[in-house]
Amino acid sequence: MTVRPTYTIPVGPLHVALEEPMYFHIDIEGETVRSVDIRAGHVHRGVEYLTTKRSIYQNVVLTERICALCSNSHPETFVMACEQIAGLEIPPRAAYLRVVAAEIKRIASHLFNVGILAHLTGYETLFMHAMQVREIMQDVKETLFGNRMDIAAMCIGGVRYDLDEEMKAYLLSALDKLAPEAEALVKTYRRNGTILRRSKGVGVLAKEQAIASSVVGPVARASGLGYDVRTAAPYAAYDRLKVDVPTLPDGDVWSRAMIRLTEIGASIALIRQCLNDLPDGPVRPADRPDIPAGRAMGKCEAPRGELVYFLKTTGADEPERVKWRVPSFPNWDALTFMLKGAKIADIAIIVNSIDPCVSCTER
Amino acid sequence: MTGLPGDIQTQLSAAAPSGIDYSSTTSPHGVVTAWCGLADSKEILVVGRTLVGLGARLAMISALQPAPPEGDEAEDDESGEAERTAKEVPKTFGGTPLDGKSYEIDYHFVLGGDFLTVIAYVPHGGSIPSLTPLFRAADWPERDMMEEYALVVRDHPDPRRLFLDPAIDGAVLERLIPYSTLVNAASTKALWDKVLAAKGGAS
Repeated sequence: MTVRPTYTIPVGPLHVALEEPMYFHIDIEGETVRSVDIRAGHVHRGVEYLTTKRSIYQNVVLTERICALCSNSHPETFVMACEQIAGLEIPPRAAYLRVVAAEIKRIASHLFNVGILAHLTGYETLFMHAMQVREIMQDVKETLFGNRMDIAAMCIGGVRYDLDEEMKAYLLSALDKLAPEAEALVKTYRRNGTILRRSKGVGVLAKEQAIASSVVGPVARASGLGYDVRTAAPYAAYDRLKVDVPTLPDGDVWSRAMIRLTEIGASIALIRQCLNDLPDGPVRPADRPDIPAGRAMGKCEAPRGELVYFLKTTGADEPERVKWRVPSFPNWDALTFMLKGAKIADIAIIVNSIDPCVSCTER
Repeated sequence: MTGLPGDIQTQLSAAAPSGIDYSSTTSPHGVVTAWCGLADSKEILVVGRTLVGLGARLAMISALQPAPPEGDEAEDDESGEAERTAKEVPKTFGGTPLDGKSYEIDYHFVLGGDFLTVIAYVPHGGSIPSLTPLFRAADWPERDMMEEYALVVRDHPDPRRLFLDPAIDGAVLERLIPYSTLVNAASTKALWDKVLAAKGGAS
């Protein structure tokens, strides 16, 4: 009697380690993954179709609802495309406020992901601690924007919120509270044996594989690619700010977590710079701008990497086409490299390390 | 990585001898957004090879069915609807009819921080060669495009459905799907009708 050398196991679509549904069809040999096939579509909602049935202004609201963790990046990039078609330049104060909103969302998103890494290693205390630190930023969002996830900060031509002296002081005090906590987390992830054993050398994505898969964001930067939209194609006020883009050479799960942890410190520095340099003036135009016929590309650095929007308008209320590619979209492909040769027990940790967003991917 | 090379227009013209329609804008931040329409959609492969050589990254592919341009003379014409529509259908510079059914396929490449969008036009029922052999990142977007439209991507290595179940009819963006059908009648009057039908018709 011969023993079948390989087996196929399903991971997902509903799985305790997955925040959202995705189906991984995995071929294994013993404990080792040989190949993986990713099957998507469980939360496909047809939002692209809906965008062509809504007015351009309604789409600012609709695009914020594509995803929760990077909710601000969607309307931010969409309005950038609208502004390009209309030839609008946003007021200087609005440019800085856009950076503040984006970096607050980035900190909260990154803390969530590194927290989940601790959860998947079974280190629940660290998971709870990371989520508690994240709560500082959730409180900030609730105080500044009135909401903890969908912050509705963007509008065509500027932003929908402003910071008075009281709010600025509150934000600075929250950052003062967050900064030492974030530094302590970096130390823990650098030294803790449980974290290191489960993440060092696990799920490696080599630089040439990263280029082949066209990965973006922290996944690319952890594999030695120094691409960040904020410096490569500056927008809002990023050309007037000092943006640190950390990179690491090893491309493993630990490197991706470290990039996110380092970026939290960089985001805190960016918000402080913005509050220090914040110019006076209006934050949005007095009237709702008209969007003529045209086509435009928008691009921003969402927490998970480069987010791209294509917008085509005809001068009518509804856009002719809105198309976007979220950073998770190319990053899924990198999992085929990362999971090859991995142990079954590491599958969930590796999948989480690309910080996947299924709602974003499937739209 | 550097941005778009200075002679990009010359290089694109050489790769697409049938003709290109090139334009570009530069943002106040110095970011270039370039557009390059192709007269012949088949030349996308040669253009793709040129861009591989330049180290371009394929960021996204957008497909759409552009509406026919509105002519100013349409309202004044009193010779009747039928005669006018028979007369002429507007065309792209490459000769693809702009009848509201033809496809525009936009390949968005990133070089450094700059955008280059290569635009191919394909008539309804037509096909386009796959860029997946050149760009790994074209795999999912091309599968996405094939389930959204009745558009064939030739020589795609893995032309399975991406998001939609194989049981669902294709070309979903070419059909009007009532919202109540889309969400399985989880709202609106259709749900009430279903409840009544289940109860035996009459209210």
